[in-house]
Amino acid sequence: MESHAVNATYKTKEVGKFKSFFRKCVKQRYLLLMVLPGVVIIFLFNYLPMYGLIIAFKDYNIGKGIMGSPWVGLRWFKTFFSNPMAVRLIRNTFLLGFYYLLWSFPAPIILSILLNEVKSTRFKRIAQNILYLPHFISVVIMIGLLKELCSMDGIFNTIRVALGQERVNFFAKPEYFRSLFIGSGIWQHLGWGTIIYLAALSGIDVEMYEAAYIDGANRWHRIIYITLPALQSTIVTLFILNVGRILSLDYQKVLLMYNPQTYSTADIIGTYTYREGLQNARYSYSAAVGLFMSVISFIFVLITNKLSKITTESSLW
Amino acid sequence: MRTRIRDGSKTFDVINCIFISFICCIMLYPILRVVAISLSEPKYIVAGQVGIIPRGFNILGYKIILSNPELWNAYKNTILYTAVGTFLTLLVTSLTAFPLSINDFMFKKSITIYLAITMFFSGGLIPTYIMIVKMGGLNSFWVMVLPMCLSAYNTFIFRSFFQNIPAEIRESALIDGANDLRILFVIILPLSKALLATFALFSAVSHWNSWFQALIYLQDMKKHPVQMILRRIVVDERTDLIGGGGETEIGDLIATQLLTPRNLQMAAVVVVMLPILCVYPFVQRHFVKGVMIGSIKG
Repeated sequence: MESHAVNATYKTKEVGKFKSFFRKCVKQRYLLLMVLPGVVIIFLFNYLPMYGLIIAFKDYNIGKGIMGSPWVGLRWFKTFFSNPMAVRLIRNTFLLGFYYLLWSFPAPIILSILLNEVKSTRFKRIAQNILYLPHFISVVIMIGLLKELCSMDGIFNTIRVALGQERVNFFAKPEYFRSLFIGSGIWQHLGWGTIIYLAALSGIDVEMYEAAYIDGANRWHRIIYITLPALQSTIVTLFILNVGRILSLDYQKVLLMYNPQTYSTADIIGTYTYREGLQNARYSYSAAVGLFMSVISFIFVLITNKLSKITTESSLW
Repeated sequence: MRTRIRDGSKTFDVINCIFISFICCIMLYPILRVVAISLSEPKYIVAGQVGIIPRGFNILGYKIILSNPELWNAYKNTILYTAVGTFLTLLVTSLTAFPLSINDFMFKKSITIYLAITMFFSGGLIPTYIMIVKMGGLNSFWVMVLPMCLSAYNTFIFRSFFQNIPAEIRESALIDGANDLRILFVIILPLSKALLATFALFSAVSHWNSWFQALIYLQDMKKHPVQMILRRIVVDERTDLIGGGGETEIGDLIATQLLTPRNLQMAAVVVVMLPILCVYPFVQRHFVKGVMIGSIKG
């Protein structure tokens, strides 16, 4: 008897809950209608591909489809690691990402401090206009510009000749690939990168500089004791973000730059996945390689975030 | 204001200005150089006598590039992808972000998490490719505009912008009998013009510059955007494709030294770069504002 009553109240409660839920749905029907397209798009282009990742553990065959293809466990991962190329690919990816961070991270900080010291606002504005420009040039155009600079009579070879060296075809030499990739990346994003630091600097009270000046601080002191501390939290946050992204290199740019002659330094996981997957149609294998890299990449983000939580107060989440 | 500080470090100021000017020159040099090569006569180019100022005068490269119907078709495609893509980005992002900015929206939390997950996990290149092919994305128009039109990051920026608009506005409009769709389009979006303008610019630039999507999904060359044409000319160095049928004519011109392939390549670079260079000075301020909007909450 008692249990019956409990059951009944439970049921009415459930019905009531459902009713109020339904009523809320009707009340917010326009809001629901609005989020619908976004939810569908995210499902189709983000969640379905995540589900598609299971082909990394299957022998995917277009005819059989994802469900129908047989499971093969970790076969593709084993294939990758028994491939002598694997070490080179991982090494290239890490080195390119590491060197890129090393060179491209400090550059905008230095430039924004220098820009902050400029007194003429007119000069500063014109300089900023020019500095931001390369950011908007497409990668394809940039490679066009780079090829021109690297051509036999381009500026780089002219400088080499002036220094008494021979002309070289930069794009065919693996030892120049990383410098070209990093240098062109800095060229494109240096100016743009200063914006965020300049914003942090614009928050500094001018009176701080004046007070420091009256107290006898020279310009060097002012940079060290006022400007840099003002930038500190921005620098730390961006550094964590960039370390986390160290492995998500712009492989599309590499695709435009590399050729079989430079594979020994230029071939990275992203380009290898593209070649094996889309050109040689080894879908399962390259999905596995891609998955391996995403996992490593994600672990990297977690570690850097943990480290930053320990060393400083700022973290991403 | 800061000019009040005078501590005799004029030398530093001068060196600083010279250094920054030097960096600016580095930024401009490649662009000037490309223009110079595209306009110079082949004999000077071959002899390596062209710096950043054209020598001789030669517009044959431009004539050939611009008389190519393939290029105009590609331009048309790019404009179409850019216009539709930008419109969709703004529309879908606003539609998704507005309900998330309302505190008592029933799925506020779950949809936020649903979006946030995509910031950390993705299927990667190959599974995405397979799924899009399965949906019939090969050679389709939508593959160039739909897959990238909504990002979690943009949605969150839109949401925090909308949250700064007082909630009373929506409440009083609801009492007056307006529904949420009307409120968004008639009240909220007109109040967010600054946000929409900056994101329209960012989105337009990324569509204008995109090429990889076309490389993997569009096999039909008639649908290629202009960046793909440029890629064929500059990266693959295929001069045979740019004549649009007049290969022998180009061959003759090259044989008689009236033209070098570099004239053609660099003319192509300039033709594709020009719209960005022309628009850039007028919209540059908005981009900087956009970074600010993004960095405050992002």
